[in-house]
Amino acid sequence: MGEFVSSGGVDRWVCPNDRQLSLRAKLGTGWSVHTNRGGSFGRPDQLSLEEQEQILGVIGRAEYLEGVEQERIGRLVDKLDNMKKNAIGNGNSQCVLCGDEFKLLGASPTYCDDCAKAVCSKCGVDTFNCNRQPLWLCKICAETREVWKRSGAWFFKGIPKYILPEKKAESGKYPVRMRPSPRGSIKGRPAPGAGGVSRDSYTWHKARGSASTASYGESSDQESSESSEEDFPMGKVKAKKSVDSGNPASSPKSDNISIGSSASRNAPHGNHQTYTRAESKTSITSATYMGGQLSATESSRGDDLHDETDSERSSTYAFSREGSTRSVGKASLGTEEELDNIDMAINRYVKASHAVDEEQLSSPDSEGTSLGLLEFSLLYDSVNNALHCTITRAKGLKAMDSNGLSDPYVKLHLLPGANKSTKLRTKTIHKTLNPEWNESLTYYGITEEDMIRKTLRLSVLDEDAFGFDFIGEFRLPLKRIKPHQTKNFSVYLEKQLPMEKDDDLIQIRGKLLLSLRYATAKQTLFVRVMRCAELAAMDSNGYSDPYVKVYLKPDKDKKSKYKTMVKKRTLNPEFNEEFQYEIRHNELAKKTLEITVWDKDIGRTNDFIGGVQLGINSKGERLKHWFDTLKNPDREYRRWHVLSAELTPEVYT
Amino acid sequence: MASANDSKWQKDAADQNFDYMFKLLIIGNSSVGKTSFLFRYADDSFTSAFVSTVGIDFKVKTVFRQDKRVKLQIWDTAGQERYPTITTAYYRGAMGFLLMYDITNEESFNAVQDWCTQIKTYSWDNAQVVLVGNKCDLEDERVVSTERGKQLADQLGLEFFETSAKENINVKAVFERLVDIICDKMSESLDADPTLVNNTTKSTRLTENPNMNSSGCSC
Repeated sequence: MGEFVSSGGVDRWVCPNDRQLSLRAKLGTGWSVHTNRGGSFGRPDQLSLEEQEQILGVIGRAEYLEGVEQERIGRLVDKLDNMKKNAIGNGNSQCVLCGDEFKLLGASPTYCDDCAKAVCSKCGVDTFNCNRQPLWLCKICAETREVWKRSGAWFFKGIPKYILPEKKAESGKYPVRMRPSPRGSIKGRPAPGAGGVSRDSYTWHKARGSASTASYGESSDQESSESSEEDFPMGKVKAKKSVDSGNPASSPKSDNISIGSSASRNAPHGNHQTYTRAESKTSITSATYMGGQLSATESSRGDDLHDETDSERSSTYAFSREGSTRSVGKASLGTEEELDNIDMAINRYVKASHAVDEEQLSSPDSEGTSLGLLEFSLLYDSVNNALHCTITRAKGLKAMDSNGLSDPYVKLHLLPGANKSTKLRTKTIHKTLNPEWNESLTYYGITEEDMIRKTLRLSVLDEDAFGFDFIGEFRLPLKRIKPHQTKNFSVYLEKQLPMEKDDDLIQIRGKLLLSLRYATAKQTLFVRVMRCAELAAMDSNGYSDPYVKVYLKPDKDKKSKYKTMVKKRTLNPEFNEEFQYEIRHNELAKKTLEITVWDKDIGRTNDFIGGVQLGINSKGERLKHWFDTLKNPDREYRRWHVLSAELTPEVYT
Repeated sequence: MASANDSKWQKDAADQNFDYMFKLLIIGNSSVGKTSFLFRYADDSFTSAFVSTVGIDFKVKTVFRQDKRVKLQIWDTAGQERYPTITTAYYRGAMGFLLMYDITNEESFNAVQDWCTQIKTYSWDNAQVVLVGNKCDLEDERVVSTERGKQLADQLGLEFFETSAKENINVKAVFERLVDIICDKMSESLDADPTLVNNTTKSTRLTENPNMNSSGCSC
């Protein structure tokens, strides 16, 4: 690959991107081809102009349909949101919806089968599940199910993209998003046109921090008045939205106006857009939406889609050409680019119709040098307390090595408290600026509180024979991730930010996943030590050699003591070892289960890492776990517990 | 092509009078009759002339099933190998597939397995598939027996129909069956995992047997 690199700056020779390479691989023509004469070697499946037209026509129709559909889903979601907002009860002593108190006399509560909250008979719905068994749902859950069915969320395992009704007024800004920022595309993009994705995200120069006040630029003057007043804390827009009343009737018009104006305004403002946050949901739809509006006006004029669209389309699709021509230099607008257009349009469509959220952010590339684009997706599983991070790929990474390439890998950290225990990393992909990792890394023991408090730091590093070079990083507050919804990100990397010293880090000793079950038949308590996470490092190598001790106290002759195996050199050990205590149920209630985690040191006293006590005198999560186990025998309860550095003295001896 | 029916389809598209929207995809080898099948269903028209589909196309039709109005966006794909990237891009949005072969064409039948693999690769894993043996009016030219079709369908775990777009045999039935299957799947999926719907609730759930997958703990 080196041969391409050395000549990267010369017009006639361009480093081919991955897509080109894979195309060529299919053609069997080898690599040594003048890229700027890409069309000359006779692609067997060239699409004729007519065919492209046709396909683009179909895509146009599809986008229109998608736009209509997203508005419909938007209305459904909006209705549901309103419903939730209007619920005033606590779901405990009051009906969760209407807030009626449940008294000793009078209406008795029923509990919703989905959310388990108390509902009065007026606010519940009697229905059946698929096996014709009766189902009692509060109106919110009934409506939620309905929305899941109607929107297709049941299929995609998450609400598909939608456009909230009030949002319409803002959508005028979306077209802006599609304009390429010439600056961005010329600079720091060694692999020009690396697929539709990166192109789509050109313009989004995100001003971190100031992201809250969205400045939309001139293109959407008429909207900015209402929208810019709003403060968008990341990820919370939806809830707030419904207050301002856009006028849906007139909005299509204003959309078109702004399309026009954004087109006429020829973009080389370095940093225009500053609209970040979970807008993604809607911002991705932008393309679709606009497509929709285009065709809508088209037909209302009664024109032929083919002829008429051309001018419009050029504004829609031209940017891809612009993008690629600029960066490739003199590359002819051969078939490659045209194919790209189609690919891109498809890409855009597919993305728009994709169920999962996508988020695209770009960083202020203040020095004008892009560090690269990172694509990844996150899924938080709140049932198993697992955070799945899928690192997909990076594009256009900054070259760190003398050969003009890098050997990139991605390292993940959870902040605050970055240390080896929260570190995960991908494999290294050698000699590339566009690595594809497609690797899934999982954090276990991530509680919902962690999701609110912590930030995921993704750093892209260049592996060297000795150590590494830092390419760039991105930090994502985890509170922006909704449970059970895969969220895709495509972000520009930023420069290394200073690590803040974290004081409460010292206190954190780690976490333990524990499973408890009391078997009545055997009169036995089963204690399963499953795994630990984020243990404190006790050894100088930055790791520990952890093992776990289990006691059931009080216990005079230490008969109750069990130990797990020692796991070498890890801060996230998995034990999965089960211990049994044969004990009568009423006896058990008087006992305290003490679990301690130790670092095995050979020839020295073992270091105490942390421990947890479960008993009738413990508190919070620990008490609940213990209580549940006792109260519901023969059921297994699993919970994560935070290890504390000190245990109650009389037990800890 | 699009322009001819512009106003019609836009009316269809803009029609909001429905409960669910399902996206379906018809796939199969070139010339098995996918486009004819779709035209028969959506427009009740048929022409024997063969015009290869360029890349992709779709039609919209609303049906009434199980007391619900279901809007179908039915994608017709090119069977030719020219457009693989175009067509597979659409797999992911599809809730249902009509996997079609031609009973007078052994090769198209042999390719069913491959198409199935394609579906598995590119679609959401809960997408529903029916196997359709088209052109059953051409009994004289038949080379794939109904039995073999059934057998393969069983083997792949699919429902099976023999149809004729030309004679309008079973065309409607296939779509209706597929819609029913998806509807059933829909109710099932919500009942099976209501937590999914309610992931916004704050309560920590104590589940009995979450199968912890124990991988990926690298440090």
